[in-house]
Amino acid sequence: MKIIKLKINRKEVEAKDGEFIIDAAKRNGIDIPHFCYNERLERIGACRICVVEVKGMDKLQASCCTQVRGGMEISTHSPRVLEARRMNMQLLLANHDLYCTICKENLMCKLQRYASELMIEDTPFESLHREDEVDNSSVSIRRDNNKCILCEQCVRVCNNVQTVYAIGMVNRGVKTRITPNFGHNMKESSCINCGQCVVACPTGALTEKSDIQGVINALNSDKYLIVQTAPSIRATLGELFDIPAGTPVTGKMVTALRQIGFDKVFDTNIGADICIVEEANEFVGRVKNNGVLPMITTCCPAWIKFGEQFYYEELNKNMSTCRSPQAIVASLIKTYYAKNIKKDPKDIVLVDIMPCTAKKYEVLRPEFKGETDFVLTTVELGKLLKQLNVDFVHLPDSEFDNPLGMSTGAADIFGHTGGVMEAALRTAADMLSGEDLKAIDYTKIRGMDEIKETEVEIAGKKIKICVVHTTGAARKLLEQIKKGKSPYHFIEIMACYGGCIGGGGQPPPNSKGVLKKRTQALINVDEAKKIRKSHKNPAVIKLYKEYLGKPGSERAHKLLHTKYSKKTYV
Amino acid sequence: MKILEEVNLEAWKKVKELGADKTMELLKKKGLTGRGGACFLTGLKWEFAKKARGNEKFVICNADEGEPGTFKDKLILDNNPENVIEGIIIAAYCVGAKKAYIYLRGEYHYLHNKLENVIKKVLENAKSDLKIEIVEGAGAYICGDETAIIASIENRRGYPHFKPPYPPQEGLFNKPTVINNVETLANVPLAIVNDEWSDEVRLFSVSGDVAKAGVYELKVGTKLGEIANVAGAKDPKAVYFGAAGGCVKYSDNFVVSADKVCKEEAMLGACSLIFVSKKRSMLDMAMNIAQFFKHESCGKCTPCREGNVHVLRLLEKIKRGEGNEDDFGLLEKLCITIRDTALCGLGQSCTNHVLTALKFFKGDFK
Repeated sequence: MKIIKLKINRKEVEAKDGEFIIDAAKRNGIDIPHFCYNERLERIGACRICVVEVKGMDKLQASCCTQVRGGMEISTHSPRVLEARRMNMQLLLANHDLYCTICKENLMCKLQRYASELMIEDTPFESLHREDEVDNSSVSIRRDNNKCILCEQCVRVCNNVQTVYAIGMVNRGVKTRITPNFGHNMKESSCINCGQCVVACPTGALTEKSDIQGVINALNSDKYLIVQTAPSIRATLGELFDIPAGTPVTGKMVTALRQIGFDKVFDTNIGADICIVEEANEFVGRVKNNGVLPMITTCCPAWIKFGEQFYYEELNKNMSTCRSPQAIVASLIKTYYAKNIKKDPKDIVLVDIMPCTAKKYEVLRPEFKGETDFVLTTVELGKLLKQLNVDFVHLPDSEFDNPLGMSTGAADIFGHTGGVMEAALRTAADMLSGEDLKAIDYTKIRGMDEIKETEVEIAGKKIKICVVHTTGAARKLLEQIKKGKSPYHFIEIMACYGGCIGGGGQPPPNSKGVLKKRTQALINVDEAKKIRKSHKNPAVIKLYKEYLGKPGSERAHKLLHTKYSKKTYV
Repeated sequence: MKILEEVNLEAWKKVKELGADKTMELLKKKGLTGRGGACFLTGLKWEFAKKARGNEKFVICNADEGEPGTFKDKLILDNNPENVIEGIIIAAYCVGAKKAYIYLRGEYHYLHNKLENVIKKVLENAKSDLKIEIVEGAGAYICGDETAIIASIENRRGYPHFKPPYPPQEGLFNKPTVINNVETLANVPLAIVNDEWSDEVRLFSVSGDVAKAGVYELKVGTKLGEIANVAGAKDPKAVYFGAAGGCVKYSDNFVVSADKVCKEEAMLGACSLIFVSKKRSMLDMAMNIAQFFKHESCGKCTPCREGNVHVLRLLEKIKRGEGNEDDFGLLEKLCITIRDTALCGLGQSCTNHVLTALKFFKGDFK
């Protein structure tokens, strides 16, 4: 690519020919404020906050959609730029609910941040006093249009990336709103609860449905309190306490949860290990007995709803019947563990810390009724710990409780795209070959490409693998399967970009750079572990021996597997 | 009127003899420029689309004439659609398009059937296998913007898109696309066959405080006094160029040309002249136009969507007699911000009317 020279704020810098001003500036240490721009989404140039002055051009230019040219002279903070930027901010503020201190997005809001940075102390414009109804219908996502600034990130994520089309634009001019189709609410829409819109939203217009108060009530009750934390939380929670992205905080997290009052802190990872044993067993069975292939992993509740809504008739046989790791641990806690500690399951309150807004939907499915009591996202856990005065950064490390606290490296990587497949292959390869194989790093299915494929040879059999993240990318594979043209045997689908580390309940921004760091953190945790194959987990082996029997046994089926049903939407 | 002269496919015959390249060369030499307001050389636009890579190309006739005080395209579509269709056939031939669209203003629905028949007849006579489809707009002002037309034809929300890429490089369905105004396309066959054809002759939509509102065919450079005379303007004090073009102070000797209008910080655009008599207050005019832009802002970009609400509110405040110096300062600053930062051409020009009125008629605002 051709490199050109231009000037930004009088300083000569280099840029790639044809790249956009905002990206060139970013690489040169200038972070131009923006709302509608997102590196992963189609550029629309709508918010006009990122405007800059370009010498020789009459109007100010939106830096997110103006390409650099050799010799260009750009100012990102001339008086004219700042004045225009400030006024556009003031226009947004005049049409915005300004009760910042009692907003869910308080201190995380981009509108608030830029207002502060631009030193906006008032708006000269009359307030438009919007009074839109808050949509609380969804179990995962709260929509408050009074706080929407129409950057359209949510619409682009939902329609272009996820191809779910739950929300779109209606009306015109200042009456423009983002809403589900035909005035329906979120619950009635095709929303799969993935929460990608929530992470994308720069303001408090889209937030997770909060269960924090329920957890606080439980913490103050005399119930027996158990918490489980998903594989990806340890790689992201620290960011909410200003710890750099990519720093695992497993030990501190466990200490914090114990400190606020949980009796037992379990690791969803053991559910991941069990999930792999069951799933690999199911896959090996399908391969040996000419069962329905490709088999598709089912750890992701958002993808499951997507599949049930759009592809149920054609694909329900391709979906693994295995529950998600969280649902496995939940079911074991309320059966096996409750029996072990001689407690009535009704006296146990189980809280799941998940990277995911769709989990809030999953635990309410009739198949899992009565297992999990509350789901908190990573963001919610951060808020809870702060409310309960936890000095997170200075906490010492501690270990998960047993028996549901021990896990292998295979479980840690569940948190990023490709990880479930890699873990499954480690076990399936051993199962099919009957050996203890040494080559266990399947690096071809790591990384951020939306569709990753590879072929592995196991016991003389060629197995074609595909890993996708985002339901938009998944749709391509599902269409293939529907037409009977899928070349694959085994497919991993995660609804969120990057997998769970990019989940709808994770701290924003889920930018590529941050996601890479989180992924690497999980890979490091995996590599540091002595046991890196799920079926070698001593706790899992013991559990099967004492309680579950063999993988795929009747009890395993009852507790570790599930079923699907057609879902409808308007 | 020259624009209504029938060409009867004479131009099409000549084009087939000349070939595409020479036709575009000829149009450039004749100086045919776009009548939508941007005055870009039509032949050059076609060349860009022809040279652009794409397995499929399109031609779109912009018949979404929505600017207040503009009604010249209606006259052409009503009285000489044959020339427009011939223009489309020639454009498609030059750029290599197999499909063309006429994006028809929703309010011109009554012309739909008539146009269908003319399309059929002209294509038959021309022995052309071009497909021409009429797509009706739904009444949004923004859909007169070429990028919004593209979105609308693609069944998307009628939203404008930033440029570049320009439509001749990447337009409808991401394919190279030529978009021309009705009047431009009607002029194509005329420019090709008539030796004495001149780009200076335009259709002027004249309305407002005049006795004989209507479409006049005049040379660019005609003086305002002459136009006022033929149209019977009563005590004119100002002339608006559509709503988006802004206004100038009326004087008999004011020469109506793009340059001269531009010098007054207004824009000639598609030659729509709205005369305002001395009996009217420019503040009332401004409020009326501001109401229009508030209603017609598409809602995509912040300054136009939010800003136009406050332009109107400030004008209303001034009208109530409550406006102080700060309000005038704010109004002006707001208008400049909208002009400087809005996404599309329409957003960038929607406050010209306030800025020019404040410049020439500040007294009306006190």
